[in-house]
Amino acid sequence: MFNITIKYFGFLKHIPLLPHLFDSFMKISILFSNKHTLDYIDEIENEVLSWNNTTVHLHKFGGIQFDVNKKEIGHIHSNGILDILFSREIKTQLIKQGKATEHHTIKNSGWITLHIKTDEDKITAIQLLRDSYSRKFTSPSPL
Amino acid sequence: MYQSRNAKLTLGIIVPNFVSLTFIGISKFAVDLLIKIKTDDYTAEGGTTLFVFSVFFVIPLVMGITSAYFWKDLGFKNIRYVTWSLLNTLIAILMSAIFLKEGIICLIIVSPVIFGCIVSGAFIGKVMFRRKNNTLNSSIIGILLVIFSADLFSKHQYTNKVTDTIIINAPINKVWQYVVEYAPITEKENYWLFQVGMPSPIQSTVDGHCVGAGRKCIFSNGYTFDEKMIVYKPNQELTFDITNQPRDPEIMGHIDILRGQFILKDNGNGTTTVTGNSWYKLYVFPVWYFDIWAESITRNVHLRVMEHIKTLSETNV
Repeated sequence: MFNITIKYFGFLKHIPLLPHLFDSFMKISILFSNKHTLDYIDEIENEVLSWNNTTVHLHKFGGIQFDVNKKEIGHIHSNGILDILFSREIKTQLIKQGKATEHHTIKNSGWITLHIKTDEDKITAIQLLRDSYSRKFTSPSPL
Repeated sequence: MYQSRNAKLTLGIIVPNFVSLTFIGISKFAVDLLIKIKTDDYTAEGGTTLFVFSVFFVIPLVMGITSAYFWKDLGFKNIRYVTWSLLNTLIAILMSAIFLKEGIICLIIVSPVIFGCIVSGAFIGKVMFRRKNNTLNSSIIGILLVIFSADLFSKHQYTNKVTDTIIINAPINKVWQYVVEYAPITEKENYWLFQVGMPSPIQSTVDGHCVGAGRKCIFSNGYTFDEKMIVYKPNQELTFDITNQPRDPEIMGHIDILRGQFILKDNGNGTTTVTGNSWYKLYVFPVWYFDIWAESITRNVHLRVMEHIKTLSETNV
């Protein structure tokens, strides 16, 4: 459903609020199909926000985006799809290790995707986000 | 601490409903103002005004966002946002029944949209009001206000025609008499909205057989549509304008049935093809959602009448 919508109606993502509405409806639908995914997202969100200088806001195409010092760590769509941007070398390694797959739409890039469905996926997601956080984190100068 | 938690939870229910009533009041006021400028676009028969897209989408979204503001410190998980938003939806629907005098069928039709948008608003608000959100996403409120204003002042006019066809195993002159008027329908309802209480057609009577004659379509709750024949061609065509429709809360201000038509065609083999057409004007928006329902209801009214005409014609051949 998600992939079909992205493939054929992806151009609608630029209409203000529509991606957020779509994401919310995905969240409602996943409540009936795999409600644990929503708990995993809650837990990941709480974990990431416990790290220094992290912030959260709505992702422009629906879901929540985590930043550190205004750089994106990664974002999660409400159907449990985690997207993170790494370098292409790291992406290749992660895919080889089975920790992630090609990004669900942007293939020719460093973007990776992880479908969070189980407790193990949640742990992997936190590891990947932590890795991304470490790479993007630069300590702010003390005030 | 516990009292403060309960207070925030309660405020997250009371305030959004108050906000929604205020916004509905504003939209009603604006639409009333527009009626004075251009009556045809905004007024249904009997003076009831239309319900714009914002009432069903923007206002519930704002309700959800307002709830999330009060619930932001309660540490709710996603599932709690859904359950409390469900309560908010039920209260909003109850208030619509009390203050807007909406009928049960209308409320059944709008409730999935209202619920979806209230929950969406709550989810959006949850992230917006996160302590660690450094952007606040305040542009969302701006976008909603722009949509609300643009919606109020944009043109709202939509008419549609629904067509259904049935083949009856009877000669055309036999079918014609039942097209013009028919005895009460006694068959069980098989459309779910009729089964849950929506009035269905049961009988049609006429006071003459010529152009200008009156026709009445009587519904199961006793309500009557008054019709006037504008085309009366025996064994060919019956077209009638609706001159008066019941002041039913399910219909008032939502839809005007404008015209009905039956066209008969002799198939040359003892059978007759009957085509039923209905024209209506909608006063609830967005049409991409409400017209699905309007078409479905009109189609099932057609089919109930046409199946009955088929039964009568084929039984009495």
